[in-house]
Amino acid sequence: MDFFQDLATTFNFILQGLWVTIGVTLVALSVGFVFGVVMAMLRVYGNAFFRALAAAYSVIVRAVPVVVIIFILFFVIARFVNLSPFWAGSLALGFASGAYQSEIFRGAFQSVPPGQMTAARAIGMSRVQAIQSIILPQAVRLALPAWGNEATLVLKDSTLVFVVGVPEILRRAQQVSARTLEPFIAFGLALLLYLALTLLTTQVLQWLERRYRLQM
Amino acid sequence: MKKQILVALLLIVALLALSACTAVQPAGQTGAAAESGKLAQIKAAGRIVVGTSADYPPYESIDADGNFVGFDMDLIRAIGEKLGVEVEIQDMPFDSLIASVQEGKIDAVIAAMQATAERDEQVDFTIPYRMTRDAFAAAPGSGLVIEKPEDAAGKSIGAQTGTVQEGWIQRNLVETGLTPADMVFSYERADQAALDVANGRIQLLLMDAEPAMELAAQTGLEILLITELTAEGGKSIAIPDGATDLKAELDRIIQELLDDGTIQRIQEANGLP
Amino acid sequence: MTTTPILRIDDVYKSFGATQVLKGFSLSIQPQEVVVLVGPSGSGKSTLLRCINLLHPPTSGRIWLEEEEITAPGVNHDRVRQRIGMVFQDFNLFTHLTALGNVMIGLTKVRKMHKKEAHDLAMFELERVGLVDRAGHYPAQLSGGQKQRVAIARALGMDPHIMLFDEPTSALDPELTGEVLEVMQQLAKEGMTMIVVSHEMGFARQVASRVVFMEGGVVVEEGPPQQMFEQPKYERTRAFLRKITDLEGDEK
Repeated sequence: MDFFQDLATTFNFILQGLWVTIGVTLVALSVGFVFGVVMAMLRVYGNAFFRALAAAYSVIVRAVPVVVIIFILFFVIARFVNLSPFWAGSLALGFASGAYQSEIFRGAFQSVPPGQMTAARAIGMSRVQAIQSIILPQAVRLALPAWGNEATLVLKDSTLVFVVGVPEILRRAQQVSARTLEPFIAFGLALLLYLALTLLTTQVLQWLERRYRLQM
Repeated sequence: MKKQILVALLLIVALLALSACTAVQPAGQTGAAAESGKLAQIKAAGRIVVGTSADYPPYESIDADGNFVGFDMDLIRAIGEKLGVEVEIQDMPFDSLIASVQEGKIDAVIAAMQATAERDEQVDFTIPYRMTRDAFAAAPGSGLVIEKPEDAAGKSIGAQTGTVQEGWIQRNLVETGLTPADMVFSYERADQAALDVANGRIQLLLMDAEPAMELAAQTGLEILLITELTAEGGKSIAIPDGATDLKAELDRIIQELLDDGTIQRIQEANGLP
Repeated sequence: MTTTPILRIDDVYKSFGATQVLKGFSLSIQPQEVVVLVGPSGSGKSTLLRCINLLHPPTSGRIWLEEEEITAPGVNHDRVRQRIGMVFQDFNLFTHLTALGNVMIGLTKVRKMHKKEAHDLAMFELERVGLVDRAGHYPAQLSGGQKQRVAIARALGMDPHIMLFDEPTSALDPELTGEVLEVMQQLAKEGMTMIVVSHEMGFARQVASRVVFMEGGVVVEEGPPQQMFEQPKYERTRAFLRKITDLEGDEK
């Protein structure tokens, strides 16, 4: 009986990290979405300067381990604004994810047939209007499957924000493990939580995919 | 439909960014000029943000209710009381602590940390609040005999990353050629290292004596030798480089707590000799 | 006879890199005229249409639309295109929008109509092409002929003063061309000015006010359909028209 009581205590303790993990993941994905879409647009439709800028962002950020980006951004941002570790960590993770998302959206923008742009211009839309109302909605739908994959990767990368002191699921498991010296139980529970989150994410995205699939 | 989703997403990001900005605290800036006023800043804010790595009982850990407990935690709360400010504890990996205090993300570090020469170049340290000893531990029935630190030569050995013990192993065993570099293992946390010793994956563990004894009691490790080989001045609180007024005040309070027996009392309450 | 032309094309050249496609093309079109443009492939018919609505502005030469020179510097191309409807060979319907959405989006985004107003007008345009019952269908759920009719409704929604048709039936199965041609014929009857690139000679004979034969980037010969089909000035025109008439003759 004692065993189950301990298990429940441990689970409750680790569970508090769940909200942190979810928060970090949602903020990072949203920030990464904005970065990714904007950079992909600049890459596909921008002038030479913006194309180079967006390409450099993508290449450099993807070349560096995410944990290094988090660490650097935390301390760089810290010089200008005093963000809490949660915000600094999440924004940094989003900045990193943005580079991966920009590649996803770039591919999606490029796979929208060129006739869509021509037809949009032909009814008098400006280039910006055409991108906004015709190309972007199609590109987002085309990007959904790959984006779903990125979402689960960001969920797992959310463990990295602990380097700047954000107590997410994995850190809570470490804390329990350090106290009880029962790593199997602590990390086993963490594993179950991550599994549940990943399955949930996958389900939601599959639903979105079905709901918004483009029929060509 | 898709437009609403997009707008909602953008809105969330904007709101989050906004709330983040309003949450900005009065800037704790870096640089010597700002640091000399560190004490005044802390008093003005009414709180001191202290970093630790809460996976190192009995110095610092988190209990089942999520409270920071241990000797260091009790001590820093006693110090906060004397300073007349609230203590806010921030859990971080041990490796991130020095950088965080350097960049002004936290005001001080209390993490069973020793004032080594290397660290002293990055940050300042208070006077030691506790002298330390180190322990060599091995699996029960290992048959190993360690009478002096150098007897560890040639054995696979583990230590916690960034600790003075790890530095000692590098300087005295690896660089002297006594132990091949690939027999030295660096662990993020002490409990991982202890479990690896207990499971026979490495032969020896070198770490602070008191946490080692606590781990030994839980995992059945055998303490082979307790020594003062790495005691470069004991455990101190790290503060930003050049924060002279803060250092003077903390030194005064630590001395007072040593003199009036408070520290002794806190040690005993946490099972430390 | 000499009313003001709705469209005047004067000595237009268009090159893509080293390739010169239009080599001094000139043509005037009167209001309510239906001009059918024929010519061998590569003669510059599609390029001409794209020059007219400035999707590919001419390299040199000038174009007037309703007495405004649209090739002049500083002219807002987007505003010009609102007055010129265009229908493409492969429809180019917006795949993420329903038939209704395809017609509405230009109304709300470009003409800045309110949703209700745009919805009603879009339904009216779908009615004109006989597709009210398909309003909620996505392009993938429509036949080729239906897609092209939605595309026509989309162009009509912008209230164009002239319509350009770029081979509107050549991507369609033969049994589906009729419904599209019918809609076009109805438009002509209502007085729409149209330039139609097409090899539908039946349509040309019945509906066109003029047939223009172009080759090598210039006009070779033009005239009323009857004259063009029965007594063209040039042997080259006769040979070409006979060839395409024979090709489709069996199907009519």
